[in-house]
Amino acid sequence: MLAQLFWTYIKVGTFTLGGGYAMIPLIQREIVDNRHWLDEEEFMNMIALSQAVPGIIAVNSAIMVGYQLGKKYQHNPYLFAFTAALGAVLPSFLIILAIAMFFSEIKHNPTIEAVFKGVRPAVVALITATVIRMAVNVFRHKP
Amino acid sequence: MIYLQLFLSFLKVGVLGFGGGMAIISLIEREVTRYGWLTQTEFVDIVAISQVTPGPIGVNCATYVGYTTTGTVWGSLIATIAVTLPGILAMFSLAILYLKIRDRWSNNRTYRYTMYTIRCLVVLLIGLAAYRLMTPASFIDGSSWLIFGIVLTGMLTPLLRKNKATNLLSHPILLILLAGLIGLLLYH
Repeated sequence: MLAQLFWTYIKVGTFTLGGGYAMIPLIQREIVDNRHWLDEEEFMNMIALSQAVPGIIAVNSAIMVGYQLGKKYQHNPYLFAFTAALGAVLPSFLIILAIAMFFSEIKHNPTIEAVFKGVRPAVVALITATVIRMAVNVFRHKP
Repeated sequence: MIYLQLFLSFLKVGVLGFGGGMAIISLIEREVTRYGWLTQTEFVDIVAISQVTPGPIGVNCATYVGYTTTGTVWGSLIATIAVTLPGILAMFSLAILYLKIRDRWSNNRTYRYTMYTIRCLVVLLIGLAAYRLMTPASFIDGSSWLIFGIVLTGMLTPLLRKNKATNLLSHPILLILLAGLIGLLLYH
């Protein structure tokens, strides 16, 4: 079960682009729908709680899910939590490290530079869109 | 001592970073430009790379900044550990607490108002980061604002529709790739 948990998070960490929020539906599919380790309500509660503390949502929710799984199935909850968190972080850590090592060499290539001239305002737009969507969400869900 | 500085900076980001990805990015932006580790343009490039590579954006950003500021894998490792550590510790405390008093939090009025205030602050924080990144280095001409408009419109289409199945237009990776293509055609 520990190996399966690690493999699940490695898989999700490798294939989800767009950050922590994008990982949640994939983890849910693996852990709730496919393996039935947790029911949907248990899972949603944990995701909500992992947003209530600071830090990386993907890592926080991995800690929460791993801890709960360890408790529920009477294994070491700390071992399970760290295994899940490591699985969530490891693929992106290695990929980014490889990019960081080679990006400075290709950065001054004119083709790459042209692509990034287009991408820069798009990134600012993504952040602006996040602000607007979050603001709408906050005002719709007043306590 | 760059490693200690890096550790403390990213630890601060990890402690203050409520709200995940974008909120974390706004904090990292302040730290890296404050120490002159990166220019704002370099920072925007890193955010773009973080968006088109898999994994949590905060981790991607920390790994990248850690490597570029020190030139070693240790810098990446230290920044990544520092940014995840506060959340991990807080999460363990909350996990232990949660299993003891399950379901009691959601009905607590003080808790819900506290969380609401935090959510409002997070929105303000990210808004400020977006505003700070609207620099002449990123917006070089009118076409930049056109790309900005296209991506913003694409991202906001789900707000107008209830049907989530037609969300392909608002996919951030596709929009980033589209913007890269436009850049290639316009500036190459």
